Amino acid sequence: MMKKLNFVVNNRKYSIEVDPRKTLLDVLREDLKLTGTKKGCGSGECGACTVVIDGQNVNSCMVFALDMEGKEVITIEGLAPKSGEIHPIQQAFVDHGAIQCGFCSPGMIMSTSAILEKHEKPTEEQIREGISGNLCRCTGYVKIVDAIQSLAENK
Amino acid sequence: MSFSVVGKDIKKVDGIAKAKGVARYIGDIEFPGMLYAKILRSPHPHAKVLSVDISEAEKLDGVHAIVTPEHQPKTRYNMAGFPPNAEEFPLIEDQLILTDHPMYVGDPICAVAADTEEIAENACKLIKVEYEILPHVIFAEDAMKEDAPKLREEGNVMFEAPIKFGDIDAAFAESALIVKESYSTQKVYQATIEPTSGCVAMWDDSGKLTVYSPTQMPHLARKIIGTALDMRLGDIRLIKPHVGGGFGARLGLVIEPLTALLAKHAGRPVKLIYTREEAMAFSEHRHPCKMDMELGFTKEGRITGMRFTNIVEGGAYATHTPSIAGIVGPWAFGMYKMQAVDYLGKAVLTNSMYNGAYRGYGNPQASWAIENTMDIAAEKLGIDDLEIRKINGFGDDDIWPWSQLPVESSGLNECIDKGAESIGWHEKRGKKLGTSTKPRGIGMAVSCHVSGAKPGLLEISGAYVKINEDGTANLIIGNADIGQGSTTALAQICAEELGVKFEDIIVETDAVDTNYTLFDIGSHASRQMNSGGNVVAKAAREAKGKMLEEAAVMLDVKAGDLDAKDGIIFVKDNPTKSLTYGEVSFEAHFKPEGTQIFGTSSENPEGNPPVYAAQFAEVEVDTETGVVSVIKFVAAHDTGVVINPLNTTGQIDGGAHHGIGFALTEESVVNPETGLLENRDLANYKILTAMDMPEVVSIAVETPAKTSSHGQKSVGESGLIATAPAISNAVYNAIGVRITDLPITPDKVLAALAKK
Repeated sequence: MMKKLNFVVNNRKYSIEVDPRKTLLDVLREDLKLTGTKKGCGSGECGACTVVIDGQNVNSCMVFALDMEGKEVITIEGLAPKSGEIHPIQQAFVDHGAIQCGFCSPGMIMSTSAILEKHEKPTEEQIREGISGNLCRCTGYVKIVDAIQSLAENK
Repeated sequence: MSFSVVGKDIKKVDGIAKAKGVARYIGDIEFPGMLYAKILRSPHPHAKVLSVDISEAEKLDGVHAIVTPEHQPKTRYNMAGFPPNAEEFPLIEDQLILTDHPMYVGDPICAVAADTEEIAENACKLIKVEYEILPHVIFAEDAMKEDAPKLREEGNVMFEAPIKFGDIDAAFAESALIVKESYSTQKVYQATIEPTSGCVAMWDDSGKLTVYSPTQMPHLARKIIGTALDMRLGDIRLIKPHVGGGFGARLGLVIEPLTALLAKHAGRPVKLIYTREEAMAFSEHRHPCKMDMELGFTKEGRITGMRFTNIVEGGAYATHTPSIAGIVGPWAFGMYKMQAVDYLGKAVLTNSMYNGAYRGYGNPQASWAIENTMDIAAEKLGIDDLEIRKINGFGDDDIWPWSQLPVESSGLNECIDKGAESIGWHEKRGKKLGTSTKPRGIGMAVSCHVSGAKPGLLEISGAYVKINEDGTANLIIGNADIGQGSTTALAQICAEELGVKFEDIIVETDAVDTNYTLFDIGSHASRQMNSGGNVVAKAAREAKGKMLEEAAVMLDVKAGDLDAKDGIIFVKDNPTKSLTYGEVSFEAHFKPEGTQIFGTSSENPEGNPPVYAAQFAEVEVDTETGVVSVIKFVAAHDTGVVINPLNTTGQIDGGAHHGIGFALTEESVVNPETGLLENRDLANYKILTAMDMPEVVSIAVETPAKTSSHGQKSVGESGLIATAPAISNAVYNAIGVRITDLPITPDKVLAALAKK
């Protein structure tokens, strides 16, 4: 039995019929075709599916899509102001070598966006805590922390 | 030598696509009419299938195809991606796509393709399978017992690898000290953040198969698919999309033949994506090893000889296990000079999910044994830890016993010195550090690794460079960038050799296509910079030579008088006399009887320069809880000439993450009763978070190789090899007890302290 869902994704209003058993992650990927948000575990352990909901970084695999009624969701596709543009966080990740395989990157970048919302100039500890729900197997987090610190310094 | 593009911090060519979330991975690939697949797996570690009844499942709405063992070709194959010259170990072909004699919990019995994953899963539940349960054995030491269930006629030891040289008895008789110790390493998981694995397969009306596979070795994967499906290789097109981490987990096949079989029966594209749980429980992990080592020394600390036995737990199918059994010994005697060696590796079959390739390929196990032993010996002989490594290392002019090829250049001593300086070795070692309940210690270990698999395995790489009519160039390579950035570095080599700007090289990391690329062994054995670099440089040089000849006619000079830089071809003695790459290529294309200029190369590299590293750890041990924390970690690696500094240190940083986890927190626990992996999620399999990682200092020591295109060596796999013993040696330095079985968990530390 499909149910109606009204929510905003990347500043665009959606009014769609969704399977009530579906997670936000599956609706983003399968119904809205926003495949930039990655599925790494489906159980909230890896953070690859991180999106920002009303300013908070959230594992989109851990919330039902229907719970998004009336909420605003930002995914990796909505971070840069326009298509063809790149957001400063994305640019910093590229410039600092913070991206290797890239599978954790969308989630990691969305968590970074939430860290920078919360803290004007985050400390290294706040940065590490802020991305501690996002697992990366390529970088040892070294250049990811560098990239986020560069953004904090430039603020 | 000064370079224009090589050595520069060029950003990864696919960095922006990945940062923006537009890079497509296997799970993102969709086709019209696509079906989704699920596998019905054996719940028993060892059984015979007596009957399969798919009648109820077939009736389910939305089910399009069900394949059982009856539907498959009868050709057995080996999942591991080896070229056909594996002479030193047998390539045992013992697997079928589906089985009626499951050898481990998870062995695929049937598979379903349906409109949705949910329907496919429900259909699997409706398939009735009758089993005769057979006795099983999970651990190698149990499988080697007389009364163990026999998993195959010839016995459970599928391969023995004895390697001997010199006179070990004489060497030990002359020794002032023989250190004898037993070690074990645990089963560990590569933990790619994109679960391993997934596949999309589809057939066209003429019987040709297209497979999208996130593999590390597109051409070898195609070859094994051909064997498994009994097909001509030219009829199989394999396309590698972006890959969410490899680390050996994709060194060959995972589920490609099964996906292709389903797609054939369904007559529609089929996608099969493993869940995290499947990826953990039913894909290859690193082999656990039980090792006994005896190392003899003169009183000056020179190694005389090594006796080394190693039992490798393989799991249910051969795949990489004979190769691992054969190679652990050479990793150990590849590190230090020794006149006599008596090594025996045993590859053992058991009823667990088979183990396979994982970054380092047997070297982390060898390093664990020999580098703990070196630490013990240094203390007993009263020799400095740094010094005992230096006096036993290989020199530039030595033949490296691992490869029987020249060492070329060794940066080991510089790595030791630079690492020691960074960790503060001379200030801290021997001092009482930390507090009485939280003592600190520092330790170190060294490692060697390869820049390819030569001469044990073929090393063929291929590159093709075509100059477009506007002077831009496409670099077309069949190797697999799996995130390490090899393609960016190879494009740097291409730009350097063509004499153009980096931006004028167009290269793809996400569409490596066996139909349009030259044969390439792929991404394993840290071979891209050496073997890939060799062919890219040669193809680019060939194209550049033709460009200079064309320009020579246009400028009315000799080709030998010309050179190119930044896309300008100029007269060396009179640089103002010049043409752009675009002007020359346009003329080449569109003059009467024009031709496009290109260069190609397909060959094995000349050498296999070994790489050395020295790693240092400062640890704190909480003697009340047993918890070991790494405070600072330093990794100094001889990488040869660095092609891309950011990518190079990125590899070393990432290696530390695997290595520290291997040392302290990571362990795949298999239940001996059920045969199933106990910790099959990332909550219970502990890879380190950003809060768990210590400060990491990665240092590249650039000792140029002699045979590679620009003096480069490898860096990919070596990052984690010395890490666990460096931490173990630091723990010993802190608390005076040594844990010889990995990982170093709090309970082992407390037990060892209690016995002290």
